[in-house]
Amino acid sequence: MRQSTTLARPSPSGADGRTVPDPSSPRPPGGLEGELLCAGETAPGPGAARRSPPRLLASYAVTVFALLTLNFFLPRAMPSDPISALIDAESPSYVQSAELRAELERYYDLDRPLVEQYMAYLGGLVQGDLGVSIRYNQPVSELIADRLPWTLLLLTSSMALAAAVGLALGVHSAWRRGQRLDQGLLTFFLALHNLPVFFVASLALLVFSVELGWVPLGGTNTPFRGLDDPLSAGLDIAHHLVLPAVVVAAGTASAYYLIMRSSLVGELGADYLQLGRAKGLRERRLKYRYAGRNSLLVVVTWSAMRLEGLVTASVLVETVFAYQGMGRLMFDAISFRDYPVLQGCFLLLTLIVVSANLLADLLYARLDPRTAA
Amino acid sequence: MRAALGRPVVASGALLALLLALVALFAPAIAPYDPRELAGPAFESPSAEHLLGTNDIGQDVFSQIVWGARPALTMALGASVLATVVGVAVGLGSGLLGGAVDHVAMRVVDVFLAIPQLPLLVLVAALAGPSQVNLVLIIGLIRWPMYAREVRSQALSLRQRGFVQAARGFGGGLGYVVARHLVPAVGPLVVLLFVVGIAHALLLEASLAFLGLSDPTAVSWGLMVNRALVFPGLFFTSYWLWWLLPAGLAITLGVLGFMVLGVGLEPVFNPRWRRTG
Repeated sequence: MRQSTTLARPSPSGADGRTVPDPSSPRPPGGLEGELLCAGETAPGPGAARRSPPRLLASYAVTVFALLTLNFFLPRAMPSDPISALIDAESPSYVQSAELRAELERYYDLDRPLVEQYMAYLGGLVQGDLGVSIRYNQPVSELIADRLPWTLLLLTSSMALAAAVGLALGVHSAWRRGQRLDQGLLTFFLALHNLPVFFVASLALLVFSVELGWVPLGGTNTPFRGLDDPLSAGLDIAHHLVLPAVVVAAGTASAYYLIMRSSLVGELGADYLQLGRAKGLRERRLKYRYAGRNSLLVVVTWSAMRLEGLVTASVLVETVFAYQGMGRLMFDAISFRDYPVLQGCFLLLTLIVVSANLLADLLYARLDPRTAA
Repeated sequence: MRAALGRPVVASGALLALLLALVALFAPAIAPYDPRELAGPAFESPSAEHLLGTNDIGQDVFSQIVWGARPALTMALGASVLATVVGVAVGLGSGLLGGAVDHVAMRVVDVFLAIPQLPLLVLVAALAGPSQVNLVLIIGLIRWPMYAREVRSQALSLRQRGFVQAARGFGGGLGYVVARHLVPAVGPLVVLLFVVGIAHALLLEASLAFLGLSDPTAVSWGLMVNRALVFPGLFFTSYWLWWLLPAGLAITLGVLGFMVLGVGLEPVFNPRWRRTG
């Protein structure tokens, strides 16, 4: 299909405005698979990969602060004021009385100056106060604490699955680039990467739960099994998890595949591989231990960036499978216009993504021999 | 361009996109019924009278699919235009002016890119109210940072090139250089971003509609999927076959069409792909 070694690569510039080609840039080698994903889907996180840890932390601190501020001002920047947003005409808790409105404004401290409100908001956040859900009349932090483990379970298992499948097939495909298997896999993953995940999830539910009955129809576990032993409880959870995890993983597996493939295709002509071959090393060893390993650096950084896509997919998939994580919580909050819950979920999901990016940046600095010093 | 269209991948993408556009344009002529009209009894199976049967309140599903092409296409186009215009403006400005402007703009871009898109979209759409205009604004305004980053990195590398430096050296003003050299140079990249952006906007709009965030009075594919899926016990009936499936396929084909077109155009349009020669 294409040899990427001769392609021009002007300026994979990071946030700090470097214009020289940067060999250790976390961006994948140029090309259809890599670039299009970059343009459309993902981009490097806040820290360019080669900053010192203190500068890195500072840059992330700025990002988090900006996020918290955005979360505060969003409802206040909307055409309708926060109270209307809370109890607008579409919401079940619609109230029209002016006295009640004034009372509510006092209750939520909305009659105080904006700066004071903002400080109170930040102070509350430090203590884990995310407000109170309108629908459940329960602290948002409690609601989220109930759901968070399920979402984390779904995210981690689908990421592991996506990485395993995508990376292995990516190596395999790059090694046989241009052959029919490679072309087939490439087409398949390109298509898979852009399917509407909620539609795929519905079809998967129909086929594997309704028609075949292999997995439960939805939920995270079978309720009222408290007396069961840990093993069967664990199996029950896994049984509920497997289909959502596979569907969430599908799109991300394609991303892994495309990145691994394009990054490896660039390595194929490398001298060290020629040398290895001349030494008589087996192809298998060359493929995974030499070339595959060399491309892992790119993959580490990408894992964190892909989390954004995983979060998006998990919100949609949790909704289809009634999987009781934060995505489903968000979905339920939409129909009730439960803004505090929506804001809390937004904030937490974003913080998960941002901290994963930070972790990857720190890890990257340790893994790359050029920056490990 | 002509060479690109000769490749089967690009041709199929272009064909799908064209089909979508034609269906949207001639919807009144193609659709046998008004999509909101109660055209028959509820849950009719597909027949000569109702090609894809009817939905839960007796509306003709085929007509809804046909009419659904209109909001899908207009919203995706609108969001992509908005994202492209803002992204190109910020990216070019940032890349050319440099200094503090560049620094601040890129910090803003960083923050945007760090946020998972869907949760932010859900929050903003829920707060602002999911009218069609709002959705175009929201999707467009959330997607521009990606464009800005791509265009900026292109502008940065262009600034160093001989022809730009020469034009500046001969006394060409900033405006002249931008209009005469930079816009033509980043043009192909912008076209590419725009086409891929349509696919992503289609996908995001459908995802939001599926979550219940769309104009409830509109006839849209995402809303059809949403209505079908909230129908209790849908999968234990055969209704999904003509109610859910066509709407989902329409979304899928629309997204894939523009995406494949973008992928196929990339070798021609993305400057990163040009050979060093």
